[in-house]
Amino acid sequence: MKKGKKIMTITIGLMAFVLSTIIFIQFKTISSTNIVELENMREDQLTQEIVTQKSQYEETRSKYEETLAKMKEYQESMSTEKEALDVLVQEVKETNDLLGKNDVVGQGIIVTLEDTRNARISAEDLLILINLLNSGGAEAISINGQRMVYDSYIVNIGNDFIRANGNIITSPYIVKAIGNPSYLESSIAQKNIGFVDEKLSEGKSIEVEQSKEITVEKYTGDLSFEYVKEAK
Amino acid sequence: MVAIAIIIGCILGAIIGINAPTISYTFSNYLAIAIIAALDSVFGGITSVLKGNFDIKIFITGFFGNAILSILLTWLGVKLNVDIYLAAIVVFVGRMFTNLAIIRRYYIDKWTKTGNNKDKIEYKEEH
Repeated sequence: MKKGKKIMTITIGLMAFVLSTIIFIQFKTISSTNIVELENMREDQLTQEIVTQKSQYEETRSKYEETLAKMKEYQESMSTEKEALDVLVQEVKETNDLLGKNDVVGQGIIVTLEDTRNARISAEDLLILINLLNSGGAEAISINGQRMVYDSYIVNIGNDFIRANGNIITSPYIVKAIGNPSYLESSIAQKNIGFVDEKLSEGKSIEVEQSKEITVEKYTGDLSFEYVKEAK
Repeated sequence: MVAIAIIIGCILGAIIGINAPTISYTFSNYLAIAIIAALDSVFGGITSVLKGNFDIKIFITGFFGNAILSILLTWLGVKLNVDIYLAAIVVFVGRMFTNLAIIRRYYIDKWTKTGNNKDKIEYKEEH
């Protein structure tokens, strides 16, 4: 009986211990979690989603209307051969501009990155920069004369070289981007957390310059498909 | 003796609980339901002590069994997209109130009337 009571006491004490431990862990978790913020975040995400969907819908709609208008234009101009040819030539020129097969000019920014004694510019740095510039609405980008097109790539070759579009490029890397200069600059130059400040803190040399007129060179490589066929 | 063990256990648990790392908010739902289940078992245990048919085995298995079962049900509810934990809370908290009422009546009767009046009280023992 004495032994049984001892075991019971210890068991109950142990259970009280377990219970109060998890209760206090729970108290701590709940007090350190901002539940309101969590719920608001979900709401924010949904709102964001709606905005994105709406803008996508608008975009698709405007594209559809554009295409309709273009078809109408074709039909009208088909009446005379000459006009049709002009339209087609214009069309080809525009497509080539979009693909990056023509030199283009416009306002934008020039970002100059340079290796220093302590830190080298890597392909990743350039990729992030291009990504950020695109997010800032860049319409044409080149690095040391290498135009960035839909199948462009930038890779490290060993530790010493960077290859872009099949050509080796070296420091200083001059990145030219055409677009709204202030949008482009603000996409990379936020104070402290932006790309520019980050690279400066890593000991790399980086300069940003806005310009009224920038020439972005055309893509010199081949842009044809070898394996891709149009789906039926 | 038992009271001392409970107090020591609670104090030790509080100290460790305060110093333990916090768990993810996702899991705190499960922990909360387990706490409710365990508390229910504790009040059920106290009631059965008053009634005089306390069994340590039933108490321990109820304590851990209910906690684990309620966690499993909550998890199942999440998977099925049904708020099963609400049912668990209703049952456990309802029983807690019943048991607390029994405990309250027991002590009120004990303090207001003298002599042995245990037999007059109706117990609804559940645990």
